[in-house]
Amino acid sequence: MYLNRVHRTFPKLKKIITRPQSQAALAEQNEYTETPEYPPILDMSLKARKLRERETLYQKIKEINTVEEKQIALNMPRYYGWKCVMFNETRNPYNTMPLVQYYTRSHFIPVDKLPDYYNDTEEAAKLVVQEIKALVEEAIVIENEGIDRDFPVTNESSIESQKTNALAQSIVKQINRIITNNLTDKLDHILSSQVDIEPRHEAFWFVGGVDPPLEVVRWRKQYPWLKDTYDDPIDRPVQYIGTPMLTLRGKLPLKPIIPYSEAENPEFKVPQFTHTPKTVGYFETHRHGTNIPGYWPGDYDEFGLVSYHGRGHIRGESFGDQDNLEALHCQAMKASFGWLLAQANYQGFTTYNDLTYPLVTQTVVTNGQLWSLYAYQLNTIEMHNDKFDSNPKNNVCFGTKPFKLYDTIENGKVQGLNEEVLKMLVKFYLNTPEERDHDMKPYLGKEEQVVADIEDDNRRSWLEARYKHLVANRPKHFLLPEVYLWEKIYKIRFNTRFFEAKRRPFEKNVNPFNRRLDDHLPPYIPKVLRQYPRSKKKFETTYYPKV
Amino acid sequence: MRLSQVLNRQHIGFMFKKHWVVQGKRVPIDTGVEDVLKAKGIPVEDALEFIKDEPKERERINIVGPFEPPLPLDENHPEYKARPCFTLKSTNVLLEGISQAQVLTKTIIAENRLPPKIEELAEMPAPTAIHENIKKAILSANVFDCEQKKLPKIKDKDRPAYNFPRILGITDKRRNQILTNRLLQLVEKTSDSEVTQSKYVVNDVESQTVFDKEDELIQFQDVSHILVTSHKPVTHDLDKDVAFKEIPDLYPVKHTVTLPPEHFYSETSKYPFRPSVSVRHPHTTWLHFNSTEVKNVYETPVTEDQILGRSLTHAFTVASAYAKQIHGEDVKDLPEPIYINCIQTDGQKYHFGVLELNTLNVDGSEGTKNIWYSKNNLKLYDSSRYFGGMPVLENYNNKVYGYINALYNC
Repeated sequence: MYLNRVHRTFPKLKKIITRPQSQAALAEQNEYTETPEYPPILDMSLKARKLRERETLYQKIKEINTVEEKQIALNMPRYYGWKCVMFNETRNPYNTMPLVQYYTRSHFIPVDKLPDYYNDTEEAAKLVVQEIKALVEEAIVIENEGIDRDFPVTNESSIESQKTNALAQSIVKQINRIITNNLTDKLDHILSSQVDIEPRHEAFWFVGGVDPPLEVVRWRKQYPWLKDTYDDPIDRPVQYIGTPMLTLRGKLPLKPIIPYSEAENPEFKVPQFTHTPKTVGYFETHRHGTNIPGYWPGDYDEFGLVSYHGRGHIRGESFGDQDNLEALHCQAMKASFGWLLAQANYQGFTTYNDLTYPLVTQTVVTNGQLWSLYAYQLNTIEMHNDKFDSNPKNNVCFGTKPFKLYDTIENGKVQGLNEEVLKMLVKFYLNTPEERDHDMKPYLGKEEQVVADIEDDNRRSWLEARYKHLVANRPKHFLLPEVYLWEKIYKIRFNTRFFEAKRRPFEKNVNPFNRRLDDHLPPYIPKVLRQYPRSKKKFETTYYPKV
Repeated sequence: MRLSQVLNRQHIGFMFKKHWVVQGKRVPIDTGVEDVLKAKGIPVEDALEFIKDEPKERERINIVGPFEPPLPLDENHPEYKARPCFTLKSTNVLLEGISQAQVLTKTIIAENRLPPKIEELAEMPAPTAIHENIKKAILSANVFDCEQKKLPKIKDKDRPAYNFPRILGITDKRRNQILTNRLLQLVEKTSDSEVTQSKYVVNDVESQTVFDKEDELIQFQDVSHILVTSHKPVTHDLDKDVAFKEIPDLYPVKHTVTLPPEHFYSETSKYPFRPSVSVRHPHTTWLHFNSTEVKNVYETPVTEDQILGRSLTHAFTVASAYAKQIHGEDVKDLPEPIYINCIQTDGQKYHFGVLELNTLNVDGSEGTKNIWYSKNNLKLYDSSRYFGGMPVLENYNNKVYGYINALYNC
């Protein structure tokens, strides 16, 4: 229709524009082949078509060049954000171990000492411990008894837990200082490593194979063609949020603890937890999925060495020894997986495009006196609904029980310093990262790996601002759509206002949350600001990734 | 109301209003129970008979509540002290800046000059790897840190009522915390292990000093964002034949101006380290200038002079709190001078100073005086931010690191 109108105004245009339909097809030289070539036979069932649709999405995300665009692409289907299961680092209710293991796909191996992987550094660690022992003892005493200070207290958690974490943090800072100062001359990776205090760690992924909630089943039951899929499992978006007390990161990744081929070892088992996460105490909120390992894309030091976490949230005797131990393991698994997943995302992998090599981190959970140490190897991050049963890989977590670094402090002296614990801690620092002999970023562009590499000024600035706005998760300008209570009573439960015009989304059978991220009007360009001499472009360009 | 107006029955406000009117005029329905009961010989009593007595007066219960409500902070409070104490906190600045600080602390100043040993050490070139790491630290503090908190409101003075969109980013507090800690870590990493082992580093510790000046009680409360302490007190060999800036006369301003009088205070000074600790001697104290936190009592913006004054009062607070811990609360002239290094920064600009504390008797401007050596306004970099989507660091100045290193190693 539009073309017609133009043709009416400019009659000569018709002659200039050639109609593509009427172009003569180029005569193929060999139109006929010896044997017939058929197009592939595709399964045209509903399930198969939907699967192909999703696979093209995964492929498109894989082909995007930059880290930031991939993150925006992950969020493209939801304008109001995903309804995420919130995995807070410090929220560890009863009996969550199976859920945490299933959601992070972690096989947990309880150990009494660090795995054999650390044996090479035994001698070096012994020497270092002898050098730093006295300093560590002194620091523990000073932090516990030698300094007067008031910790600022907030209303977010109990005062007791905040005090525990504050003391632990100051001890961790001192021990980190002592060890790094001692090792700087001996090891290059310590000199160039960066120390972050309370960085922001966030990670987002999908977990498949979870029982569908009742609403989903009810929705499926409306449609006869979904008859076979009533109880099919669904994807759950999961968001991890944590704040370690202190982290160390460097330019190179740590060596794998076990060979990558071992990742498919059937002996590594992960329990299946298909119940809704609400049953154990993890709830959901709408938010955009974010992957943040404590720095923005483009930072030089991209791989973690050690992270220290507080254990102020551990409840006392009311929780039971076994429950407290499991809570620690859960915290460590969540924290390690979350940090590594975010790092993996900065290497160009996402929850839809699996890692091609393993990543390793070391996690310490402590309150200054009790120390539990964990070594975690990330082998896979692909566990969404299409892959949860066909992906044979598992992640592996080695974890110790909490050890006492010292027994008591009497008369300004530390009694019973446990050198073994200190040695294990030193071994974490002695574990030298190495350059890998494979491509670290196979799914990122060659020239453009982060948005800052993009040539086009407008596109670069737009993407940078959009990405930061997305991951900030600021509240929207307009409130989220909702069904008011009076509507629920007078319109949905009892149809008392049948004569009114049906304007609300639920009356029109529309799900307002089913809206894409780019489904909005771009900013308007006022006429005075439009391009000279005449520009009909009313709205600014947006550069959302095309997925 | 027009007669012709249509009153929709389903108008929600109208509907509810009418509903209340109808429900409010309920007439009890005769259910016929009374007759049935009477017929069976069961006595029926009037309900109104039971409520005709006046209700009994009950004693009011004093509910304690979850916690004791705090007493109002007025003259009747048990902790109230009649004598006011003029208080300078780390979030406040002096009206006259460095001159007022000179009067309050009885200090003469050697401007743009640090002890010779420091100047000598500062000249030593640092390896390139260190400068690369400092650039990383600057970028990490200004660009790559992921904090997204509300930054101060943007105001346009031509149209003051206009509301700009609120920008999220790295707050000045966090930026300074990251940058200064990283710088100190780098200095420690390049220093000898004997030096680092004899030092101790703590964050965010408070010092407090209370003293009399011309019959007025004055207290300084200050936070050292980083406090480096050592096994031995730090000493400096100083040139005494320097043109000192003498203590100025503030007239007509009084030296306690912009120090709010407080009636709740403790009369003892406080040094954060206990006397039992062997590494308690203050060596270098770092002070952040966070423009969102530090304000004038009046609404005027903080001037450069006032920022310099902060360095001096801060160094004086830590040094005198330490002196009082050693020599007792009433010490006046110190048997041996106490030295302390001070670095103040807002991330970009660095102000270095060394204080020689000779006396805590700050009355008048004659007699023994304290000495403040300072070198101010050294810029570490011109700007570091995201510019058009790209991380930028402009004009890194490699001189500053030399001074930080020198202050640590002296």
